[in-house]
Amino acid sequence: MEIINVRDLDVGYGGTVVLRGMNFSIAQGRITAIIGASGSGKSTLLKTMIGLLPPLAGEIRLAGERIEFDSERCLGRLFRRIGVLYQNSALLGALTLYENVALPIRMHHPERPRSEERAAVRTMLDRVGLRDCEDKYPFELSGGMRKRAALARAMILKPELIFCDEPSAGLDPITSAGLDELLLELRTGHGVTFIVVTHELRSIARIADRVLVLRDGRIYHEGDCADILRSDDPYLREFFLRKTDHDH
Amino acid sequence: MRPLEDIRRFFALLADEIYYVGQYLRRRRSVLPGEIVHQLYAMGYRSFPIIGLITFLIGITISLTSAAQLKMFGADIYLADLIGIAMINELVPLMAGIMLAGKIGASITAEIAAMKVTEELDALKTMGIVPEKFLMVPRLVAITLVVPLLVALADFVGIIGGVLVARFSLGTPVPVFVREVLAAVTLRDFLIGLGKTMVFGWAVVIAAGYKGFFMDRGPEGVGKATTESVVLSIALIIGLDCVFAFVLY
Repeated sequence: MEIINVRDLDVGYGGTVVLRGMNFSIAQGRITAIIGASGSGKSTLLKTMIGLLPPLAGEIRLAGERIEFDSERCLGRLFRRIGVLYQNSALLGALTLYENVALPIRMHHPERPRSEERAAVRTMLDRVGLRDCEDKYPFELSGGMRKRAALARAMILKPELIFCDEPSAGLDPITSAGLDELLLELRTGHGVTFIVVTHELRSIARIADRVLVLRDGRIYHEGDCADILRSDDPYLREFFLRKTDHDH
Repeated sequence: MRPLEDIRRFFALLADEIYYVGQYLRRRRSVLPGEIVHQLYAMGYRSFPIIGLITFLIGITISLTSAAQLKMFGADIYLADLIGIAMINELVPLMAGIMLAGKIGASITAEIAAMKVTEELDALKTMGIVPEKFLMVPRLVAITLVVPLLVALADFVGIIGGVLVARFSLGTPVPVFVREVLAAVTLRDFLIGLGKTMVFGWAVVIAAGYKGFFMDRGPEGVGKATTESVVLSIALIIGLDCVFAFVLY
């Protein structure tokens, strides 16, 4: 079943069109990686899919419902159904880890008893391995811990879909692999759908069920990792395998 | 035209904030519990010493300057009237407003702008939280609660400056000075000073928020936005003060 459907999407800033004629869909319960060179439009596409940047043309449907970018009510519904893990974690620096993770509950369900909130937050912090850090502030945590905390916050309201912007950026290979394992566990164990924007090839190979390759604002290729690894396309070989035909 | 767009965005933010504060007063939602108290501490407790010191020094300076002139005409006692009215009506609101711009306005802009750089504002939006409400409402409520206390303190210490000069420079007894101040200053004067400072405080918070939310991306933008916020706040304060002068006198 498809959770996201993108049809004839054009996106840009001011007069510049960054993405043109995008058509793709994202399957539920899978991890889809969006990759591409710098400037290919990955982040722009992500911003549009999470409701922060209205498209110039075309439409995005989330589980069949068209996202109306000029309707606060519709965007509100979108935001309740998605979670976002930002490249810089984007935890609020003035709040402790516990308060950061509890924030969506406090803002959207203020009537929920504190005991229930505490249980939900601690379960989530347990799941990401940060139960002992709940009183710490983001600046007291390592980059990997901040990413995991941000993932806990993104998941606290049990969204259907989580967007991850460069989840491995700035992490060492071991921490990055640990985060990948966490995403895999959440996909397999809890059926969460992930859309991961990245250019970490090792990470893509580990986690992605499907890969969308962007080039110059268009979808250049889509398929699974094995497809791309087998591909003879010179751009894919150069980009994904980091070698060109003349290496052989 | 960029200036027209800037003005439109400023007034749009102002209108949004009026709506959000009204909404908060009705429903008490969309703001973190405890955040208003935190802001009261940051804006009030930490601003009292510097605003108290500045108004005290201004009180002394104005008194010294005026005392010499008044003495020449044998009108020493009118120093009390001058200080009372000048401090309460004009100097305290103006100086408190400028200090709020430098201390509170700059810190609000820097905080919001830094949150923009680190994608915290985007994170709030995608959590379904409106940053303009979540971040600004506690600050606007806090400034509203803090200003009366600030004004009372600043009026008091400013006049104390005058009392000291009158006592030691002109030899006016303290009870005589105080009696003269109380006779010269009316409740209306105090309320005008309070009202002006309140408006200046709101202007500072809105200007600070505006510069923070609409900063250019990038870490260098934080410093630029902070400087612009202070300049805009001071310009607004002086402009509004001029409007008050036309309306009230």
